[in-house]
Amino acid sequence: MGIDAFLTLAPRFGAALSVTLGISVAAAFAGIVLGFVLNVLRMTFPALLKWPYRLYVWIVRGTPFLAQLVLVYFGLPGLGLTMSAVQATIFSLAIYSVAYFAEIFRASWASVPIGHLEAAHSMGIPRHLTFLKIEMPQAFAFGIPLLANQLILLIKESAVASIITVPELTMTASDIVASTYSYIGPYAMLVLSYWLLTQVVGLAARRATTLVTRHQRA
Amino acid sequence: MNSPELLIRYWAYMPQLLAGAITTLYLSATGVACGFFAGVFIYTLHASRNVVLSGFARAYVSFFRGTPMLAQLLLFYYLPTALGLDLPSTLSAAIALTLNTAAYQSQILGTGFNAIPLGQIEAAFAFNLTRRQTLWRVEVPQVIRLTLPALVSEMIDIVKASAVISVIAVTDLMRVSQQLASVTYRPLEVYTLGACFYLAITTLLSVAGRTLEHRYAGRS
Repeated sequence: MGIDAFLTLAPRFGAALSVTLGISVAAAFAGIVLGFVLNVLRMTFPALLKWPYRLYVWIVRGTPFLAQLVLVYFGLPGLGLTMSAVQATIFSLAIYSVAYFAEIFRASWASVPIGHLEAAHSMGIPRHLTFLKIEMPQAFAFGIPLLANQLILLIKESAVASIITVPELTMTASDIVASTYSYIGPYAMLVLSYWLLTQVVGLAARRATTLVTRHQRA
Repeated sequence: MNSPELLIRYWAYMPQLLAGAITTLYLSATGVACGFFAGVFIYTLHASRNVVLSGFARAYVSFFRGTPMLAQLLLFYYLPTALGLDLPSTLSAAIALTLNTAAYQSQILGTGFNAIPLGQIEAAFAFNLTRRQTLWRVEVPQVIRLTLPALVSEMIDIVKASAVISVIAVTDLMRVSQQLASVTYRPLEVYTLGACFYLAITTLLSVAGRTLEHRYAGRS
């Protein structure tokens, strides 16, 4: 396994890495935005949304992502909704991540001591200002590590998309193995790529956490 | 899709799906059980004062937590073949699951071990218990009680992660769903039923975990 073999593999892995990142980031973006909205809606209309929300989270967090993905990719065409492998992956991964991000936001908001809300209310601060200036900063300080960790989990989960032949990292590695019959090189690069990816995101996460919790430290 | 016909078809799928579910449960349970002991071992390495051992443990945990389950599975399935060993796919899957959960459990159990009062360890040494006896007879029984919620959560994660072993042709629940879907040309209903099976398993585990927690909490 020489340096020239590494150099031939690198471009393919580079392309595959961009697919993996693209899928993960797209799904994470949708997940964070929609998860945030879902959490706000859940807090605003508790009677209406509490049980649908819990049902949704229960189903999405109780089943493997692979099961959800094959259901979306192979099953939905039966209902008339056909998608390409990449679209199905982003769609399915987004639905999957919304549940997790919504739960993270729920936990983050629950971490804000209720005394703060009561104090703000008794001082006549309008609800939207309480939300923006009091709840959100504290909630995000609590939630950033969780959000970053979830992003790492999403990147790892995206490997499952290789099963429906999305040209991401795992699929590319398996492809190379199948065509060149060398196992060690491609799989070593595969795990190295994922490991580097998760370490970089982890590092960025720690920086972000330090940034948002600056106000809590001396 | 007629409702009674659907139920009749579902009834026909049940035996195979049940067999798949049992395989899934069996492999997950084996993985978690073996992973528990491996996890304790990794923790002892991690906490060791020997730089080589603790470095290895750190690298091990970093590797298994930083890479996807699927990539690890492919690694442990194809590498033995490249080295000349012929492992059955079920064994490869069990090994991959065990090694993966050992990394996570070593961290979970580590928090538990650190929460055990140092006085107990000192007392154990005063009573002439060896390091090994202290570990297995004093610390481990307590650590399970301390970290039970996280352990149950990890167990559920392993059941969900085990779905990818279908890729190396282990006839687990996911594989059976795929086989049934390709035979019956009804992917929507087959995959939905398969997902329901997973949901049932994870929910039962979750409920069992909460019951155990309450019983442990009541006693202490």
